[in-house]
Amino acid sequence: MKLKEKLKGRGKHICFLVIVVILAFCPFLASSTSMVQFFGKCICYAIVAIALDLIWGYTGMLSLGHGIYFGLGGYAMAMYLRLRDNGGSLTDFMQTGGLKELPFFWKPFLHMPLALILVMLVPGVLAAVLGFFVFHSRIKGVYFSIITQALTWAAYSLFIANSKYTGGNNGITDFTSVFGSTRGTANRGNLMAMFFTALLVLVLIYILASFLVKSKFGKLLIAIRDGENRTYFSGYCVNNYKNFIYTLSAVLTAIGGALFVNFNGSITPSQMTISYSITMVIWVAVGGRGTIIGAVIGAFFINMCEYNLSSGALADIWQYIIGAIFCITILFFKGGIVGIVTEQIPAWIRRFGRKKEVV
Amino acid sequence: MADIVNTLFNGLSLGSIYLLVALGLSITFGLMGVINMAHGEFIMIGAYMTYVMQQIFVSIFGKSGSLYYIVAIPFAFLVTFLLGCILEKTLITRLYGRKVDSLLATWGISLILQQAARSIFGSQGVNVTAPDFLKNGIKLGPCTFAYNRIFIIIMVIICLAAVWLLMNKTPFGAQMRATMQNRSMAQCMGINSKRVDCITFALGSGLAGVAGCSIALLGSVDSTVGQNYIVYSFMTVVLGGVGNLLGTVIGAMIIGFSSIIVEAYQSASIARAIVLLIIIVFLQFKPKGLFVIRSRSLDEE
Amino acid sequence: MAEKKENVLEIKHISVIFDGFKALTEVDINVKRHTIHFFIGPNGAGKTTLLDIICAKTKPTLGTVHFYPENRNKIRLTGMKEYKIANEGIGRKFQVPSVFVELTVKENMILSLKGHKGVWESIFYKLSREEEEHIMEVLKKVGLEERTDILAGSLAHGEKQWLEIAMQLVQKPEIIMLDEPAAGMGKPETFRTGELLKEIKKECTIIVVEHDMDFVKQIADTVTVLHEGKVLMEGNVTEALADKTVQAVYLGRGGERNADN
Repeated sequence: MKLKEKLKGRGKHICFLVIVVILAFCPFLASSTSMVQFFGKCICYAIVAIALDLIWGYTGMLSLGHGIYFGLGGYAMAMYLRLRDNGGSLTDFMQTGGLKELPFFWKPFLHMPLALILVMLVPGVLAAVLGFFVFHSRIKGVYFSIITQALTWAAYSLFIANSKYTGGNNGITDFTSVFGSTRGTANRGNLMAMFFTALLVLVLIYILASFLVKSKFGKLLIAIRDGENRTYFSGYCVNNYKNFIYTLSAVLTAIGGALFVNFNGSITPSQMTISYSITMVIWVAVGGRGTIIGAVIGAFFINMCEYNLSSGALADIWQYIIGAIFCITILFFKGGIVGIVTEQIPAWIRRFGRKKEVV
Repeated sequence: MADIVNTLFNGLSLGSIYLLVALGLSITFGLMGVINMAHGEFIMIGAYMTYVMQQIFVSIFGKSGSLYYIVAIPFAFLVTFLLGCILEKTLITRLYGRKVDSLLATWGISLILQQAARSIFGSQGVNVTAPDFLKNGIKLGPCTFAYNRIFIIIMVIICLAAVWLLMNKTPFGAQMRATMQNRSMAQCMGINSKRVDCITFALGSGLAGVAGCSIALLGSVDSTVGQNYIVYSFMTVVLGGVGNLLGTVIGAMIIGFSSIIVEAYQSASIARAIVLLIIIVFLQFKPKGLFVIRSRSLDEE
Repeated sequence: MAEKKENVLEIKHISVIFDGFKALTEVDINVKRHTIHFFIGPNGAGKTTLLDIICAKTKPTLGTVHFYPENRNKIRLTGMKEYKIANEGIGRKFQVPSVFVELTVKENMILSLKGHKGVWESIFYKLSREEEEHIMEVLKKVGLEERTDILAGSLAHGEKQWLEIAMQLVQKPEIIMLDEPAAGMGKPETFRTGELLKEIKKECTIIVVEHDMDFVKQIADTVTVLHEGKVLMEGNVTEALADKTVQAVYLGRGGERNADN
């Protein structure tokens, strides 16, 4: 039994290793720049999925508002990149908005180290403050989901309304990656650097998440998910745990968002919407909640499907497919793809084998 | 004076809109514990049905006239009621007691319904012409009361009264409350709980359809029109206290009035954010809403 | 200066009112150290509510609960957070077995160990040799030593109950509160649970809420009979069984009539 468990644990890590190796070859085999950029984005999505899985799959808190953190990370990075490409002068939307001077909260983004810190600090502090209040008053379950959803909506409204500071509906556009332009064959080196940076971050975050999940802390997250009050009566201050993992998850999501804008070349409020936040949940659900590898697989699987299907003739059908996949997963395959491989298929094989014996 | 009257009227009117869109939800979420994310899409369907009825009238009589709207209301109710029935039978019935899962699965449905609306009606918004009797408004001194706003207030009162009567004065209402409070006990007493579940859910959906009819009067209708209301619907129900009709009414009015008051000083979207933040802060002190039903279980859900 | 007291728990003038309904009225109970103390009474007598108050799941409307730890100063439990009370050495087993179903038996035990309850500590926590031995020793006591790596969710009902008792024991508590530990158990299992509790008594004080009178007779040192939120009488089992009023409300047929109120 013990040996089997161990092999199972290894199996998931081996699976991740295979994914990483395939990804590492991607930029050399991919036919176009946009293809590499797409895989780069997928890596960011996988990071976000891991972050979301930590709080949903493991701790049982369904956040419908991780778009905020993705967006904040993305905006923070985009602000730095835009100012750098602009030479620190006012952006077009600021000029249109009638600003004469760079707003004070834009100024820190003139410096790269400061900007990189803020990428994590701003979402982290927001999540910690929000988490403190929400978890302190023991708001949980669907109430937590509904509140995060409402907050996302509020943040989205604010970003659209203050267009002279945020670029409104268009968001922040026209900037190159941290390593410079990634377009065209001449800039292939920049693209590669960006891609492998993202891949490295994914690997590090995967290791961090796997370590956390394996520790006593990870077991406690599961304990909180399965019996929150029991955990209190076992002497744990559950709010602190929830707040810690929520904040960590927000920071990881923001890192995903910050890397994302490097590949995407723009950030818009549509990445902060409720529907975008729920799309992230779909990745985790389809891949398999409660396993780190499941989150990674789900993010790649759904986005690769979308990439291949959502353009061309099938574009209209894509929404039907994703909706149906999601419903079916929730109804019949709670463990997602990972659950199918590790539980359902072995169960089918066993049943099939038994039937044979009977015959 | 005129300002105050206007503010009061606008608040009441906005509150009524929120109440109308949240009423169906307060039944499906509050009573049944199903988080129906497709609720917004039922509102959208109701709005589109109003448009469809208008087009039918145009093609038969050459003009839409006023009568179409009167026909559209029961029509929208019926269509969404039936859709609700189908949704309950196929999906929701497998998800009782799994609140978070019901939220996610119905989100999948909402994606499908939105795309269906785009496929059928196009991604451009369509407009519903208000019936003649709802154009203009009454002028009382310096204040104007738009007829369509008054109409929505009347509509919400009718819906509320109907729901209250159904729940408290009919045998079905008694069966419904019994099933929602203690399913197995109700079954033992010979109540067909599956049928009750189905009709209750369909009723909530039908109310969303009626809300959609009213929403159609307020602006153009497109596939995302429901999404604009879903957040407020949920906040209304949560603020009022889940499972409490009176709570929903008060919750809707609080949100409506506070929105109007804040909007007097801030732009609409900032007001929206402020109001939502106020509600969230409020929930700090009353995490389960204004009206709470006590229970003794250790871990709910 | 720690005072050596005979009582480990003093419940004084506790009243609880739920929306106008008086669940408990002016309850005074002293629990003696190293005894098995039973709260019995018909349904709705307020037994579980009383446990809820001791471990701060419910706030009393009036009254106080004081805890006298063996070698420390007394602690006022009313007004404390539940997780702090748990850390002071008061364990609680709930009516419905509430073990962590998705964790193994051993992981359940590790989470219940005394200490290391902070976030950082838990991230870098390593199970020490002594702790591991302690866990195995406790598991042996309840007869689950062979099932350490099984998911708690797949244990039989009785085994879950024992696991939950073991989870209290491993914290080295001074008081354990058990809400219907024999519920859903057969006669032999119940008897075994009783013998187990007698064994545990040497290390800590045990408060039990239970309906099974054979179980009460088997192990009770003191019995407090509650009825409609009030203390009806207190004494040993024989006294309780002999008491006329107790017979009327609980043991006799009259119990049913009164329970309806």
